[in-house]
Amino acid sequence: MKEELKKIEQEKNCWEEKTLKPALERFKLKESPTQFYSPPDLGEGFNFLDQVGFPGQYPFTAGTYPTFPYLTGERGSGGIAQAKGLVRAGRYSGYGAPEDTRDYYMHMKKLGARTGPNIAFDLPTQCGYDSDSPMANGEVGRVGVAVDTLRDMEVIFEAFSGENDIDRTASNFTINAPANILMAMYLALAEKRGISWNKLRATPQNDILKEFVARGTYIFPPRPSIRMFRDSLVFFTKHLPNVNITSIGGYHIREAGATREQDLAFSMSIGAAYLQEGVNAGLPVDSFAPHFSFNAFGGSMEFFKEIAFHRAARRMWAKLLKEKFGAKNERSMTLRVPLTVYPGNFNCTVQRPLNNLTRSVVGGIAAAMAGGPPGCYPPFDEPLGLGWSLEAIQLSEDAARILQHEARLVDVVDPLAGSYYIESLTTEIENAAWAEFEKIQKMGGAVAAIESGYMQREVAKSAYERQKKLEEGKELIVGVNCYLGEHELEVSTTRLVPHPYDPNRRDEAERLQVAHLKEVKQRRDNKEVTRLCQELKRAAEKEEVNLIPHFIECVKAYVTLQEMCDVLREVFGEYKPAAI
Amino acid sequence: MNQDKKIRILVAKPGLDGHDRGAKVVAFGLRDAGFEVVYTGLRQTPEMIVNAAIQEDVDVVGLSILSGAHLSLTQRVIQSLKEKGAEDKMVIVGGIISPTDAAKLKETGVAEVFIPGTSIKTIAAFIKSKFSA
Repeated sequence: MKEELKKIEQEKNCWEEKTLKPALERFKLKESPTQFYSPPDLGEGFNFLDQVGFPGQYPFTAGTYPTFPYLTGERGSGGIAQAKGLVRAGRYSGYGAPEDTRDYYMHMKKLGARTGPNIAFDLPTQCGYDSDSPMANGEVGRVGVAVDTLRDMEVIFEAFSGENDIDRTASNFTINAPANILMAMYLALAEKRGISWNKLRATPQNDILKEFVARGTYIFPPRPSIRMFRDSLVFFTKHLPNVNITSIGGYHIREAGATREQDLAFSMSIGAAYLQEGVNAGLPVDSFAPHFSFNAFGGSMEFFKEIAFHRAARRMWAKLLKEKFGAKNERSMTLRVPLTVYPGNFNCTVQRPLNNLTRSVVGGIAAAMAGGPPGCYPPFDEPLGLGWSLEAIQLSEDAARILQHEARLVDVVDPLAGSYYIESLTTEIENAAWAEFEKIQKMGGAVAAIESGYMQREVAKSAYERQKKLEEGKELIVGVNCYLGEHELEVSTTRLVPHPYDPNRRDEAERLQVAHLKEVKQRRDNKEVTRLCQELKRAAEKEEVNLIPHFIECVKAYVTLQEMCDVLREVFGEYKPAAI
Repeated sequence: MNQDKKIRILVAKPGLDGHDRGAKVVAFGLRDAGFEVVYTGLRQTPEMIVNAAIQEDVDVVGLSILSGAHLSLTQRVIQSLKEKGAEDKMVIVGGIISPTDAAKLKETGVAEVFIPGTSIKTIAAFIKSKFSA
């Protein structure tokens, strides 16, 4: 083997002298614009069983699952892997007042969607403010649906009752800082409907650490936030066997500007911090790790690097669980993520927006080859404003169908396994991520790295580096910093089919929701509300108390989201970001 | 205006929008382009922004908004600047803003709207052009 590799290296040197060099001279190039990989790039120690293995088995490089019977481009799936017999949430959605979102889901059902709700909440809800707060002014119902009390969840979920009640459907909640409160509402709703908690399938995003780094919908400082995470881990492990504890997002960190390696390293260190909470609570890792999931990692247009990235991510998580956390059950080591590669929303352009469809297809092809569904995400009008048009959604779903059924891209799992390029690239990315991970562990872990502002500063630096490269023309985005000549057509598109989000309803949402909230506050037992808030405060002051049972009692009495969060603000304080 | 005095810019994130990549990148870039930049951070109310603009004695107020609430938030900032006698400060806005809304913003007094794909060079050149003698 060693002899063989030595021979190839010698031959490569000959090739560089005799064949490549003349070509470079002919084209007047100092350096070759391309590379070529061959067996020596795998490294002498390359061992298929150790480094690749089989799909659905440690180290999971080839894939999380042994096989996956994709129902690609299912109506309403939003690129999220769907399969027969699986109950999955659908496309990220929600706007306006609860009635508007309820009506949207009922409308989508009429149009053929059979997926569960994947709910986007408005910024006031995500940041722990009620719709009548001065902080909410102008923002109620904009980026998602407004939820102030249990009444609002009851209204939304009128769309999921009867034959697709919440014991038969999966719900996704993109909620972080007040995740435990929204989940308490879901549990109270289940109780009211006589549905036992162990039947509930849901994924609250519940990934507060990335909010400090990249997304910004934090409320409390990191340490009390992690206490709330502990509450969710312990409570869900005990009572909610079919609920994912968290949906970790490197996605947001990459979109905020992180490099690929930072995305992977920060995600893993955040995952490690969450896992540690379970360990600290005295729970065996195999009891909660199988309920950890990932929302998505970041993406980019660099096709091969992103494929290698996902193989590295799966292998890294598996090693983290097995070697650092001592997991025994292989289910604990699987990296469960609904989609893999995509071009990165930050690479999608306002200019010549149809090019974003092309970009999403590049992502979909890479996704299929990286062990994910061939989802072509995002829909091309992503950068044009809130909500995707039905035309863009149709093309996105059709593109995924074409990749599966015409190009037959998911017939083979991990088709690039064994490629000299992809295997060496996978190892390179993994090694770089481990180095950064260890650096963060030396700082005291993810929470410490966030309290000191390290992660935030690194992300901002990387974002600025990229901007400089774009402005210097070292990185190219077609239609934005190149190919802008006067003869280029600014191909545009009209979106003619009315968007399912009614802009008039959205504009009315704040007024309506404030009125409804006033009504709720009048009708409820306000003495009980005061008593429950005082009880909540006493409980919050004791670090060891799990607040979720208290939230459940509060939501049942129609205590508002902000009332609960204000109690917690008193006890925990509010996060003050470090200057960058 | 004293040509040696650097132009001072406040880069602000009004409202609850947590997407600050653009604001930070613009803040760094304008600093490197020779401006004096103050970045407010997230969760600024229009009142906080105007107070900071006056306290820091800036020439330009830059608002970064990607949450769709740009019309109402910008309106409140401009209103507040007028009320505090600071309407001589130039207001520029960046974010996800449709051409229709960009026109509306300009009607209310915004000097320019910068959408995704704009280079920092363009923003810097625009500001300099408005402040040259």
